[in-house]
Amino acid sequence: MISRTAILRLAAGAVGLGAVAGAGFLAYALHPAIAPIAPPAATSFSAESVERGRVLAAGGYCAECHTRRDGQPGIPLAGDYAMATPFGTIYSSNITPDAKTGIGTWSLAAFTRAMRYGVSRDGANLFPAFPFDHFTHMTDGDIADVYAFLMAQKPVSSVKRENTLPFPFSMRILQAGWKLLFLHPGAYKNDPAHDAEWNRGAYLAEGLSHCSACHTPRNAMGAEKASAPYDGAPVDNWIAPPLNATNPTPVTWTENEFFQYLRYGVAPLHGSAAGPMSPVVHGGLSEMPESDIRAIAHYLANIDHADARQPGDAQHLATAMASSTRDLTTPQTADADARLYQGACAACHANTGTHPVLGRPELALNNALWLDEPTNLYQVILRGIGTEEGQSGITMPSFYHALTDADLARLAAYLRRTRTTLPPWTDLEKKAAAVRATLPAPPVAASH
Amino acid sequence: MGKFGRIALGQRAGHADGSGLSRRGFLMAAVGAGVMFGFPAAPRAAQQFPATGLPGDGAFEPTIWCAIAPDGAITVNIIRAEMGQHVGTALARIIADEMNADWSRVTINYVDSDPKWGLMVTGGSWSVWMTWDVFRQAGAAARIALTEAGATLLGIPAAQCTTRNGMVIGGGRSIGYGDIVARAHPARSFTPDELAKLPLKPAADRHLIGNKDLKALDIPAKTNGTALYGIDAKVEGMVYARPKMPPTRYGARVRSVDDSAARAVKGYQRYLVIEDPSEVVQGWVVAIASTYSAAIRAADLLKVDWIPGETINVSEKDVIDHGRTQIDRKEGGVMVFDDKGVDSTFAAAASVFSQDYTCASVMHYQLEPTNALAFEKDGIFEIHAGNQWQSLILPTLAKALGRPEKSIVLRSYLLGGGFGRRLNGDYMIPAALASKALGKPVKLILTRSDDMQFDSFRSPSIQRIRVAFDGSKAITAMEYHASAGWPTQVMAPAFMPKGVDGKPYDPFAIAGGDHWYEVGPLRVRALSNDLANRTFRPGWLRSVSPGWVSWGLESSWDEIAHLQGRDPVQFRLEHLTGAGRNKGEAPDSTGGALRQAAVIRRVAEKAGWGRPLPKDTALGIASTFGQERGMPTWIACAALVHVDRATGIVRCQKLTLVVDAGTIVDPDGARAQTEGAALWGLSMALFEGSEIVGGLPRDRNLNTYTPLRIADVPEMDIEFVTNTEKPTGLGEPGTTPIAPAIGNAIFNAVGVRMRHLPIRPADVLRALKEKGASAA
Amino acid sequence: MTSFRLNGHDISVDVPEDTPLLWVIRDEIGLTGTKFGCGIGMCGACTVHVGGRATRSCITPVSAVEGADITTIEGLDPAGTHPVQEAWKDLQVPQCGYCQSGQIMQAASLLKDFPQPTDEDIDAVMGGSLCRCMTYIRIRDAIKKAAAATGGEPSNG
Repeated sequence: MISRTAILRLAAGAVGLGAVAGAGFLAYALHPAIAPIAPPAATSFSAESVERGRVLAAGGYCAECHTRRDGQPGIPLAGDYAMATPFGTIYSSNITPDAKTGIGTWSLAAFTRAMRYGVSRDGANLFPAFPFDHFTHMTDGDIADVYAFLMAQKPVSSVKRENTLPFPFSMRILQAGWKLLFLHPGAYKNDPAHDAEWNRGAYLAEGLSHCSACHTPRNAMGAEKASAPYDGAPVDNWIAPPLNATNPTPVTWTENEFFQYLRYGVAPLHGSAAGPMSPVVHGGLSEMPESDIRAIAHYLANIDHADARQPGDAQHLATAMASSTRDLTTPQTADADARLYQGACAACHANTGTHPVLGRPELALNNALWLDEPTNLYQVILRGIGTEEGQSGITMPSFYHALTDADLARLAAYLRRTRTTLPPWTDLEKKAAAVRATLPAPPVAASH
Repeated sequence: MGKFGRIALGQRAGHADGSGLSRRGFLMAAVGAGVMFGFPAAPRAAQQFPATGLPGDGAFEPTIWCAIAPDGAITVNIIRAEMGQHVGTALARIIADEMNADWSRVTINYVDSDPKWGLMVTGGSWSVWMTWDVFRQAGAAARIALTEAGATLLGIPAAQCTTRNGMVIGGGRSIGYGDIVARAHPARSFTPDELAKLPLKPAADRHLIGNKDLKALDIPAKTNGTALYGIDAKVEGMVYARPKMPPTRYGARVRSVDDSAARAVKGYQRYLVIEDPSEVVQGWVVAIASTYSAAIRAADLLKVDWIPGETINVSEKDVIDHGRTQIDRKEGGVMVFDDKGVDSTFAAAASVFSQDYTCASVMHYQLEPTNALAFEKDGIFEIHAGNQWQSLILPTLAKALGRPEKSIVLRSYLLGGGFGRRLNGDYMIPAALASKALGKPVKLILTRSDDMQFDSFRSPSIQRIRVAFDGSKAITAMEYHASAGWPTQVMAPAFMPKGVDGKPYDPFAIAGGDHWYEVGPLRVRALSNDLANRTFRPGWLRSVSPGWVSWGLESSWDEIAHLQGRDPVQFRLEHLTGAGRNKGEAPDSTGGALRQAAVIRRVAEKAGWGRPLPKDTALGIASTFGQERGMPTWIACAALVHVDRATGIVRCQKLTLVVDAGTIVDPDGARAQTEGAALWGLSMALFEGSEIVGGLPRDRNLNTYTPLRIADVPEMDIEFVTNTEKPTGLGEPGTTPIAPAIGNAIFNAVGVRMRHLPIRPADVLRALKEKGASAA
Repeated sequence: MTSFRLNGHDISVDVPEDTPLLWVIRDEIGLTGTKFGCGIGMCGACTVHVGGRATRSCITPVSAVEGADITTIEGLDPAGTHPVQEAWKDLQVPQCGYCQSGQIMQAASLLKDFPQPTDEDIDAVMGGSLCRCMTYIRIRDAIKKAAAATGGEPSNG
């Protein structure tokens, strides 16, 4: 899911080919094949290594992008996940240990080279839809564990569909130029200025779990902008919010908020993990030990400068709470938009007191209202949130048929003007239609 | 088997699938739903409270209205629709009180249609008033028959016996009603003449009528999910239907239907183009599916090409403008009152007041969307649905289905809101026709937008009030004109009374104009807005015309009082003299206008009329006689209102109401009805109101339609006058004085006069600006 | 196939995944206490509890409740004597009753979040539940009565 998004932007990286030429280029471009091996027996790996690899594979969301979702759902890790890009569709590869169609003939060296340098066993460059620019930071041991896990899986014979990238985007060799510019290979090195937990969090966030793949904007070449790490970026028709101090929500993403969010799918003072973040939390990170989640939260809270921002939180929280029941507790005859909010939203979102009730997401605190665009707000309203997403066990309905684009625009405008201090969003109705158009099908068979 | 027993059996058969259990797609490994969820194992009659079952053989039926079983259970037959008034409880109190029955043994039974019940209609706030004499007589008949039989068993003369709490008492002994039935098998019946002459209990002896401790029998089932509404009706083998609504209420013709997209919906079966010989539905296409969810989606995906009806471009303004033109013309309309000397008095008047008042379309938005289950079984066409006027729709169903009325039966269910919408049973027609066409049971449910588009909403209206004054500013004559769509003309023309000019008119589109004020010669002219009638199916909506007539009439009384520099309360009282035709007639309007004066005096006192109030805050007073002159419920309202001059927002802070409805049969129910009715009045004054756009109501759901919600409720103080007069209606009168009381309060608060409902902040602001401009 | 728990029973239904939960409850399972009002989540008549939280079932696809714990009005209390139901009967709240299953489910959920609700809490949360009979005064009173009856402690109804 995460990497899927990356391809939207990374494929554009191929355009940069003309700019990159010379001797160094070929060094990056040309790689020898690594000899195939006889597929190792699953039993040749230690149970401990396989288990460590299982957890790591979850934390790197391997199955998210290596499992077909469209049409007939595929077998996990057997690939053929369709990644639509403006340039065409790329289909992910089969990473089960099938000798013919998967990675059964890959040695650990071949696998490690792929993870660290984005090179296939046969020497071809891999598209950076595969986030090797992050996996490169993993330790040899972790890579070996992932390898053990994958090779211990049941081989599945599955031929992926052919990519539909037109020339020149289809030329794998051109990815070499991209690597020259943007790949910084090598395992993560501890930063002595920080403690062990911070370094563990950085190792996971920057490497295995590749947070910035979605949360950092990309340059024209489709690579993460080194100048704007974690500034937030569009992803899969959602917005991956900034994870640094530019995050606009009124209350700071503290270590505890990050932890609650990444462990349980809901940050009490921010909201729940919907859309592309839901499988990250519930499908990926949920396999990782609490200490690792804690470490990621610790690291993110540090790059967020939470400590410096936190003193303002009490005031911001109080302001948000005070706005929560606005227009809901007095007769309402003048503002039709407030009326819409009252009928459609407030029963589940109104809060009183000093803190929001868990399970009663406070919109005045929610990321969706404070981002530059209403994208995430629209996505959540249109799709709803299932019991297996967000806060587990509870659900938000889908207003896909309930609210027209005009209604969505009214709601968005109303919430923005009454629950934030930010300037109004623009072109709201048009944007509502655009987000609606990104849903493959109406989530619920309701009607007006 | 008695007649009652046969009905009971018929009813049971009708609800043969009363367990309401469908097993389609429902996998519950070897455990039946009934076991898991505790469904009643046996089918039961749907509408009985408490659900004790019907009396079997051996029950005594002194009249068709009640049965006393050998075990002492008393079943009271209710022919009125239960839509929130707790009408069954109120009516059962009347009969049980007169019987001196044991209330704990009373069950109410909502009956299916049958010619023997006579006129089956629930509306007009009539139920208690209409049933008062009938049920007291029926109760007396039961009491007397049981007393006679009980006396025989006790071996003493009936004259030495009394009755109390379900027992005949005499000679130091007593015997229960059930035992009397079991042992003596009483069989006495009564002719109408005999019934009319039976001695009735004096008011002082009543133990159930007016008893504050009794609870409504229908309420417990409405707190645990067991209450069955029309939408809950099910029968084996039924398919679901949802209409694809045509572009106009009338005259749309289907040119073609493309269901290629709908066919992708799992469960979609087919579409039907409905041909209706009764012409109630025109241009309807319905999607048929095995589930309602599939029918919902399929209907959305049907592509229908229609030739629209001729009203496709009619707007709200067109309808009101047409009404204004009708009023402008001297000729036309029907004279409800046309006292001698109106024209000459106006001609001789020193001055004349003339104002127009308008009201927007209002939607019913009864919470249960209209629906019906229809199927033929054993030669009888059954319609299962909530309905308020069975007698009205039966002949239309007969015409639509091409079969005699006697082969059609309407099964009764609770109504998820009536408010007049279900007086018009038009929603049964397409269900019946679809069932006939398919030869299988069809459950038709309208979604909310279908329902609002199909609503027979409250017509937009325009009224003109003209008052003539002599040189000393005394009122010398009055004209009242109103134009609106006429529901009764469209749907029940046989029910139209004739005006003084011999022409039929819709009483529910003019009642209220025939007021009780003394004004000299009075002309009341009712005009049928034919453009409204052609464009939509005008509906009866809670409080019918008094709900909007009073807006004009009671606003104008205030306007005139202010013009004359008089106190609006005092001014009204001076014109409620109870003279001439306004002195009232026993038993229905005993006391006449003086009772209206009394409620006004009392409400002014309660609300503190004349007391100092904060800036831009004021009281406004209005009063009406409820629904009709023949059955007046005297009511007065004081609205405490604040107006925000900066935004135009009107906030109603408190409503004080005083109501004289004669004897109050069900005190808590009366209060509940008045609370609800008054809040309807407030909702129509400030919160809701629609508009005809392109021949149809603009609003289709709550995303734009904004009826009153909980936070909008003001403080309320409701008081009932205590007396023993004949009970009149309470379901609607509370609605009638609210809007004018608010309008009058706005004037008292900030000096602007609103003449259109609903009152919107923008209109108040505009009026404030105009006033500021004219003052400058 | 979607599986969930309903009123304490394990249920699996084989319906299209976009089927609204409301119709699964009413038509597939046969519990009709949950009502269809506006169909767009703005009247509250279809309110059930999903994971203990009041949820508009008319626009909730059944696929969204996989594995969830659902309670309908029929399952709120085995004897129909939940404090909210008792207060509703004591104060004679329902008129036509059509919205009241939803009102009761919303109110029961409200009391879990706000065990001693103020008028403000009640208005803010109950504002999404439309009562066309306008029983609002009694709804407000009954919620307070139910709160008093439960001693202001969170209940698990």
